[in-house]
Amino acid sequence: MIEPADSDAALLARFAQGESRAARALTARLAPRAYGVARRVLGDAAEAEDVTQEAMLRLWRIAPDWQTGRAQVSTWLYRVTMNLCLDLLRRRRGGSPGLDEIPEPADPAPGVVQRLQDTDRMDALQNALMTLPERQRQAVVLRHLEELSNPEIAGIMEIGVEAVESLTARGKRALAAALADQSAALGYEDHG
Amino acid sequence: MAETDTNMHELDRLLQVARQEKPDLPEALEARILRDAARVRAGFAAPARPGAAALWRQLRAALGGWPAMGGLAAACAAGLWLGLAPPAALPDPVMLLDDTSGETLALFSGDDLALAMLEDG
Repeated sequence: MIEPADSDAALLARFAQGESRAARALTARLAPRAYGVARRVLGDAAEAEDVTQEAMLRLWRIAPDWQTGRAQVSTWLYRVTMNLCLDLLRRRRGGSPGLDEIPEPADPAPGVVQRLQDTDRMDALQNALMTLPERQRQAVVLRHLEELSNPEIAGIMEIGVEAVESLTARGKRALAAALADQSAALGYEDHG
Repeated sequence: MAETDTNMHELDRLLQVARQEKPDLPEALEARILRDAARVRAGFAAPARPGAAALWRQLRAALGGWPAMGGLAAACAAGLWLGLAPPAALPDPVMLLDDTSGETLALFSGDDLALAMLEDG
């Protein structure tokens, strides 16, 4: 019997003991989160599906060796998902700039984001996300869409909390600037 | 500066909408994930090396079980000990090897085998 109060680690232990219902419960809990962040970071649904499947496969394989208390299962899965996304993005582009190479974003043109039509908004947000450097994009997705804390993000991205704060702050400014650029390109310039 | 703040405020609103629009897990992907889970779980249940274990079981049974395996091991150890440190009453096998090395064993000492065959017709 699976209870909502059962922890992810407890379910993983039950899966390792051969309980198929535990796999179903873990998939329902964790796979949508992995799929959601992979889709945001990759901007491609098919690739996000492949990454999610691979991350979950690694979770099944590590189940017998999982040490309760070592880390949260969800944090571990986010980290694997993000690393798989990074690998994929680097293969796509043949390399990634370091944190120091990322330029500071220009301030967005004033008052234009609000002019985006509702129907365009989510597409515009995704397009703007895709203009961010990979690590900024990861940090922004984890902080502002998954609503994880900075220490959690630091654990997932394997960097310090200060680096997370810097990435999310710069990422958010860059996102606003990219959205302003898009709204201008779509013809939503502020004429008033 | 105030206008930039307005844009950031709008961005916050956009992010809030995006947070509420979580994509559903595609059914086909869920099926793939659960298929992987079943395959991995089947691997947990199976013994690590069934082939090797079965082979050892068969060999032990063929030799007569654990008592016979023990006797065989004792005989091997005794043979190895006799070879390495033979009793004084027995010739040293290493010396025997040394004595015969380099010598030709003559089957028909003093006779020419080919000549004998010719004489026999």
